[in-house]
Amino acid sequence: MSDLQSLVSELHGAIERKQFDVANDLLSRSKRALLMQNALIPTSSTPPQLVVLARQVLELGALASIRQTDAQLFTRYYQQLQPFYDLERHAGLPGQGSSKLDFSTSQRSKITGLYLLLLLSMGDSANFHTVLEGLVEEACLKGGSVEDDACIKYPVELERNLMEGSYDKVWRETKSERVPSEDFGLFSNVLIGTIRNEIAGCSEKAYPSLPISNAKNLLFLESEGAVIEFAKQRGWILRDGRIYFPVEPEATARSERDILVASGTVIENALGYARELETIV
Amino acid sequence: MPAERRSLRSNNKSDTSSSANGEKANSNSQSPGAKDKAPTTRAAANKAKSAPTKKDAKGASNGNMGDDDKSHTNGSKSTENGVNGSEDVEMGDTAVPPTKGSKSSGKDKEDDVTMEGAEDVETTEPEVDPTTKAIQDIKSNFTLLERAVAHFDPRFTLRVLRSISSMRKHLTPEVLAEVIVETYSASSSTASFLLEALGQTNAFENAPASSDMEVDSDKNPIAQETLAEVDAYLAILVQIYLFDQREIQKGVQFSTNLIERLRALNRRTLDSLTARAYFYYSLFFEQIAPLPPSPAAAVTTIRQPLLAALRTAVLRKDVDTQATVMTLLLRNYLSTSHISQADLLISHNPFPVAASNNQIARYLFYLGRIRAIQLQYTEAHSHLIGATRKSPASPVARGFYQASNKLLVVVELLMGDIPDRAVFRQPALERAMHPYLLLSQAVSVADLDGFLNIVNTYSETFRKDGTYTLILRLRQNVIKTGIRMMSLSYSRISLRDICLRLGLDSEESAEYIVAKAIRDGVIEATLDHEHGFMKSKEVGDIYATREPGEAFHERIRACLALHDESVKAMRFPMNQHRLELKSAQEARERERELAKEIQEGDMDDEDAGGDFDAI
Repeated sequence: MSDLQSLVSELHGAIERKQFDVANDLLSRSKRALLMQNALIPTSSTPPQLVVLARQVLELGALASIRQTDAQLFTRYYQQLQPFYDLERHAGLPGQGSSKLDFSTSQRSKITGLYLLLLLSMGDSANFHTVLEGLVEEACLKGGSVEDDACIKYPVELERNLMEGSYDKVWRETKSERVPSEDFGLFSNVLIGTIRNEIAGCSEKAYPSLPISNAKNLLFLESEGAVIEFAKQRGWILRDGRIYFPVEPEATARSERDILVASGTVIENALGYARELETIV
Repeated sequence: MPAERRSLRSNNKSDTSSSANGEKANSNSQSPGAKDKAPTTRAAANKAKSAPTKKDAKGASNGNMGDDDKSHTNGSKSTENGVNGSEDVEMGDTAVPPTKGSKSSGKDKEDDVTMEGAEDVETTEPEVDPTTKAIQDIKSNFTLLERAVAHFDPRFTLRVLRSISSMRKHLTPEVLAEVIVETYSASSSTASFLLEALGQTNAFENAPASSDMEVDSDKNPIAQETLAEVDAYLAILVQIYLFDQREIQKGVQFSTNLIERLRALNRRTLDSLTARAYFYYSLFFEQIAPLPPSPAAAVTTIRQPLLAALRTAVLRKDVDTQATVMTLLLRNYLSTSHISQADLLISHNPFPVAASNNQIARYLFYLGRIRAIQLQYTEAHSHLIGATRKSPASPVARGFYQASNKLLVVVELLMGDIPDRAVFRQPALERAMHPYLLLSQAVSVADLDGFLNIVNTYSETFRKDGTYTLILRLRQNVIKTGIRMMSLSYSRISLRDICLRLGLDSEESAEYIVAKAIRDGVIEATLDHEHGFMKSKEVGDIYATREPGEAFHERIRACLALHDESVKAMRFPMNQHRLELKSAQEARERERELAKEIQEGDMDDEDAGGDFDAI
């Protein structure tokens, strides 16, 4: 127990100093220690102090992995933390007696917020909402709303703005001081990349053409050079200081083929009906 | 789509009113409706049969024919109620967990009414003691169970289960104890197991005092070897009794033991009974603290046994238990908002197609809920449509019907459709759906402020219904509808006006939102960034596209599928075709004979003719 405690404090230091090699080594050692005491998954017989220590180890591991931008590892830590957080959820409900566990050191909202942000940056909105649903339900029981928590509020707002299409708000959120902590900032670049692509996709459909200077503002790019670079990547045509978006070859040529396909299906359908009618009669 | 659904339902309704027999409860889905037809009518006949015997015993000698008729209708009516009731109890309980108290009281009232109705008619006959009647009913069910085992026909068992709800009111420890005493010998372990749960451990000592005993004593040796089905049936009655008396702790204890016992048995005729036992088992656990929303809730402790039961049921091809346990597990997971687990369960376990209608409805409801949370609205929509259509039409199952309709409306809104006004006008839904009606009105007129107002006003209701998070997602739909309306009404509008009308924060946001709407295909328009306006494209004639044809095709397909389903759902008696063959054979023979005769006759004629000619 005591050497585990010292391991945790060492780990803390290592992560603070960004010595991730050391941290990784410490992490595997402390996880092994936890495993020896059978505390990687909390049971009713696990002593409370050990549960707290185990949670701290896993949380630090999660933070370390996110700082090393290892999404897979972070997800694994997040999953491992779930049983611990379930304990906390249970204790946090009204009508439950205060438990022996100490939740003051828990970084639950931060880890959960980071996980939400990770899901958002990966575009996994199904899982995002699945996690969120649980959080909302919990918050309802406590009589509040999820947005009371700054760490949760941030990804939730981002998602809402993304879905709505208010990309400028997303841009401002990622830039401003509203980012709850530096760990959240790690995702800003990914998110900006996402929204830039979204905007580009929308612009292709929405505008017939666009001056380069306006495009710079729209796409949140630094300079016109960057715009040209970006336009080349997307295959846009640049002419006279304007961007012309490639128009899909539609209208006449396609409609003719359309009719052919359509008549095929119509005939097929009609034959199908005839066959069915025959079986009925 | 909703129109179609409604017409289906209303058809049902008119059927119910016009037909005197009680089979309608199930017929809103095609398959089980047809399946249940036979047992119900037969049950009615059975009841009618039993009623006159009762009367004979009492020596009532009024006009036989008329009375007989009356008791006939009476009997069939009460079975009808029974059918509805038994479906409902489950349905109601499943669908609306928080309002269980009020729900069950409503249901009780419903039962009251029907029971009273039945009794009113009966008062014309000499008074029947409800206790003896209950005992008689239970015993007559034993014969049904025996027949089920002998003929290996689950229909008899289902009929027994259906009669439970009409019996529910009359269950007392005395009734059950008496039945148990008469069924088992004093040394039977099952008997003591059941009696212990009832708190009637000394029933055997008390029993011989009653005079009924002697009448039945000669029967005892026959019944000595009781069937496992009878054991299970009595155990379920005990479970129900305990549940109705709110003796939850006792029920938990009893059910756990019962499940242990049932697990050891491997009899296909026991399946539907086992399924029911699991249902009450889980119901008991939902009632004990810590209550569900907490992740340490008592329900989590039964996941292991339920999963084991699921595995066993699948291995034994026990469809009833499999279906029931799966819905129970889903409900279990969702109650503690372990949505990903529920999703995993679904993806790894196919739901049995042959499951009973109610289980399918329930499964579809949960599936729809999960898919809605995961943003797969189209899928959620089709599942929820199925759930609402398959939900029992009887008034006591309203809880389920309402819950699935609420979810359906929200999902429809999320898909960008405006639900049909008539959905809200159904008498069963009108009051419960009122907040949702306001909500869809706000979405349809794209009134963002009004929408937020409604969400705030009714947030409690929405949270209770579990639709709150889904409704929060509707905000963007409101905006989209607004944009669509503006694009339709103006050929050109400045971004500034859009921003003002929608109550957005900035012109920039408006531009991005409109661009997104264009990309998502919500509107047909182009943006002009330099002048800051949106220009709508000419709307093409929809009838020039393939759209109407596709919609038409979709409907025809649905009708054909309906026809196929109904054919499949019809019950074909076994070996019936042989009978037909036989009669065909006979007919052919007869024909041949006829032909022969005719031939002979012809010969005669010819002969005669010949004679004539000769003459």
